[in-house]
Amino acid sequence: MTKWLARLSALGVAFLLVGQGQTALAQNPQQAGKKIVRIGSIQSVDSLNPFKAVRLISGQIQRWTYMFLTTPDPKTLEPSPDLAESWSTSEDGLTWTFKIREAKWSDGKPVTAHDAAWTFNKIMTDDAAKAGNGPAVENFESVTATDDRTLVIKTKAPQASMLDNPIPIVPKHVWETKDVGTYEAEDNPPTNGPYIPFEQKKDQYVKLKANPNYWRGEPNVHELQVIFYENPEAAVAGLKKGDIDLIGRLAAPQWEAGAGDPNIVQWNTPGRRAAYLQINHGATTSDDKPVGDGHPALKDVKVRQALHYAIDKQKLVEEVQNGLAVAANGSIVPPMYKDFFWEATGEEKVTFDLAKANQILDEAGYKKGPDGVRTMPDGKRKLEFRFSIHTDTPTEDKLAQFLTGWFKEIGITLTTRKLDSNKFTEETGSTALFDIAISGWSVNPDPEEVLATHLCSRRPTPTGEGGGTESFWCNKEYEDLYQQQLKELDRAKRAELIKQMQRNLYVNAPVIAIYYPNNLELYRKDRITSITPVPEGRPGEGILYGGVSGWPMYSMDAKPVEAASSAAGGGANTGVIIGVIAAVVVLAGGGLLLARRRKTAAEDRE
Amino acid sequence: MTAPIDTPIETGPAAVEETAAGPRGLLRYAVTKLGGALLSIGMVIVATFFVFRLIPGDPVIAYTRDVPLSPDQIALLRKQMGLDQPLPQQFLDFVVKTLQFDLGTSYEYRRPVAELIGERFGPTLLLTGVGLVIAVSLGLWQGTRAAWNHGGRFDRLSTGVSLVLWSVPTFWLGLLLLMVFGAGIGPIPGMFPTRGMESVDAPDGFAYVLDVAHHMVLPCLTLVAVVYAQYLLVMRSSLLDEIGQDYVTTARAKGLRDDLVRRRHAVPNALLPTVTLVFIHIGFVVGGAVSVETVYSWPGLGLLFYEAIKGPDFAVMQGTFLVVCVAVIVMNTLADVAYHILDPRVRST
Repeated sequence: MTKWLARLSALGVAFLLVGQGQTALAQNPQQAGKKIVRIGSIQSVDSLNPFKAVRLISGQIQRWTYMFLTTPDPKTLEPSPDLAESWSTSEDGLTWTFKIREAKWSDGKPVTAHDAAWTFNKIMTDDAAKAGNGPAVENFESVTATDDRTLVIKTKAPQASMLDNPIPIVPKHVWETKDVGTYEAEDNPPTNGPYIPFEQKKDQYVKLKANPNYWRGEPNVHELQVIFYENPEAAVAGLKKGDIDLIGRLAAPQWEAGAGDPNIVQWNTPGRRAAYLQINHGATTSDDKPVGDGHPALKDVKVRQALHYAIDKQKLVEEVQNGLAVAANGSIVPPMYKDFFWEATGEEKVTFDLAKANQILDEAGYKKGPDGVRTMPDGKRKLEFRFSIHTDTPTEDKLAQFLTGWFKEIGITLTTRKLDSNKFTEETGSTALFDIAISGWSVNPDPEEVLATHLCSRRPTPTGEGGGTESFWCNKEYEDLYQQQLKELDRAKRAELIKQMQRNLYVNAPVIAIYYPNNLELYRKDRITSITPVPEGRPGEGILYGGVSGWPMYSMDAKPVEAASSAAGGGANTGVIIGVIAAVVVLAGGGLLLARRRKTAAEDRE
Repeated sequence: MTAPIDTPIETGPAAVEETAAGPRGLLRYAVTKLGGALLSIGMVIVATFFVFRLIPGDPVIAYTRDVPLSPDQIALLRKQMGLDQPLPQQFLDFVVKTLQFDLGTSYEYRRPVAELIGERFGPTLLLTGVGLVIAVSLGLWQGTRAAWNHGGRFDRLSTGVSLVLWSVPTFWLGLLLLMVFGAGIGPIPGMFPTRGMESVDAPDGFAYVLDVAHHMVLPCLTLVAVVYAQYLLVMRSSLLDEIGQDYVTTARAKGLRDDLVRRRHAVPNALLPTVTLVFIHIGFVVGGAVSVETVYSWPGLGLLFYEAIKGPDFAVMQGTFLVVCVAVIVMNTLADVAYHILDPRVRST
């Protein structure tokens, strides 16, 4: 027993030696003096080919490595010059002319309007290139480069959101020789953004280096490493240990785990997502035929409004979101987007008021039965609704408990249905087999995308093909406003129309916004010395990672890797070798002893 | 056991009996088993196709969640995925393609599934392979010792510890080890990496091997801790059976040293049941350890499968599932054949 323990401890010591040596070894001596920032990502990069990539992390890396026609201004979030120095629009709003900046690809070749034209045309004409950003060119009629510096885009219908185009421009001279459907960009084709990818390992990491020829100037940081963690808890542990320097898009419990460490900054600011309840108000397909099995009472706007009065959003923020969210007094656009955010005021504002909810239902003729549950005015059906949530999201369970309690107070029975995310998407997005469901959307600086999810045309087709509706909403006023804002190129006037659209959703309640979850991030201040969030200049606000701007990663600064570690690295190498030798000696010695003991014993006894 | 395999004429019943148990018998046995395996693989292919179509939800809708697409684009996607075909046609395509080792194209990565699986095969084999070797050696060694000193302190301790570890959820144990030895807690420094198979700035040559080994310590430890109990228990109970046998008593009566009785007589016989266990687990090695790979972000098949479920990426799920099933079947067949060679008793039945 003692011998076994001794062997084990010897092995442990050997392991320790190897371990210690390796930790230091990870600091490659060549990195000394370099500013390296390591970003943890809880999503692996699906592809560095922008025509194929669909994951958020890949979109982020595109923001850090490519130029886009325009980019949101770091302060105002309004479209500002990037690849396009300036632009103009024709009278009818159908023709956009962009003046392309003089810049260089990282292989030294000049960036021209032909690169942009080729990129857009590739997506418009090649089905294999549509995976990444197909919808963004759907309204494009033609894209041409009239000379090296001029790009002309003609659209089929006016499109005010043109300047929020999410497509990175790739170098034509490289990509035209590739099959974009299969090319994996493993040889790191040239880019023109603040950073250049130079090394990638599938499901492990992507490395980017500073681009000295970037048009705004070379970034302060020499190298960005995007390191993949499948498990967010492991990633936070990695941050605390110092294996990574920054991690974004965290859920409340993981973010809270970053507390108590003097070197870690807990970044908690208004987020870009809205969480809302989707209500089956009488779902229809795109040919206006009823679909699904929604409760008939929910067709009545009074019932939907009564539900709205019966939700204590502040309580939900505190109990369900650990206080890390903002109660929603608006609709689908979160307050982070000041220009477009609409907030209910005065008479229209719905507050938590169970008496008022009861009053609305009483007046509308939904009488309470002897069991306290209301019935339809014709007395036929009880007000018993289903609440669809996901199987794998504990916070939604909590939400369901609160809603069930409040709705009971107003004579409505709510039963929770947990669905696998697949089934959930189908039932709430195309077959309409639900009464009330949880949903949410992350909004871009230009909210056009989220607004479009409530259009008539987004309803499923008669054959059941989902069109991406978030509400089965089809409302004349909403449609008209949508068309008007598409044509409105004056930002202030357009914002006014977009606010009216949110008001339409708030008052009619096909969706009821409950809260806007905060943007939760953690970073090490002993590594990252300065970082500017977007939007910048608003105290307590702004997103570092996960926004739609490369600005924070471009403008940040970091401590150089200490030169001392290179000396330690050398020492560590020796340490490793000693460790290995020690381990081998211990093992071999032990084995030899054992063998000898057996041999002598055998000789003695046999 | 010198069967006249090259003699066409067999004389006498004795020779016939000899051959039945000899290489020709083995061949026939192997062929039967192989046929069975092929049949199983065929059934797995059929089952895979239908199981993955029984999963609730429409893959196209699931895939386009949060991506606003027009009906045209959805139709295009459906066509690209081959879902616009009638089910029998889809099935036929699937079978033909699978037999050509074409496992389809991932919806999310837009790459051939076979290629994705190939990329992740190595890391998985490395991790679970090393884990298996350690778990088997540790389990067999402790099992032998525990059985030999049945009821002793070592027996109680090792059986107790291994059973506790066996009942611990892999995910939880992995995270715990990661928090304690990866990130470091209190006086314990973070000695091991918190993720992956290699450092981002991995060195070259021998140092690279060390780097990978360093990354492998915690995942391997987790894997071994959770599974070695089965080897220990099987070995322990099977050795306990043998200890009571007459031949062991005979061996002892001959005056053989205790150690020799154990090593030369009891253990070889007790090892037999573990053979099946080991082979079956070699099959599962291919599937990797989904939990361990997920906790430690190990870029293997388990992680690929997990990501595919999250997607959901049906083609990848289907492909990984198929590969794992086939591996298990192949290993099972090999176990049967190995058993046949190792244990004469199997041959006589």
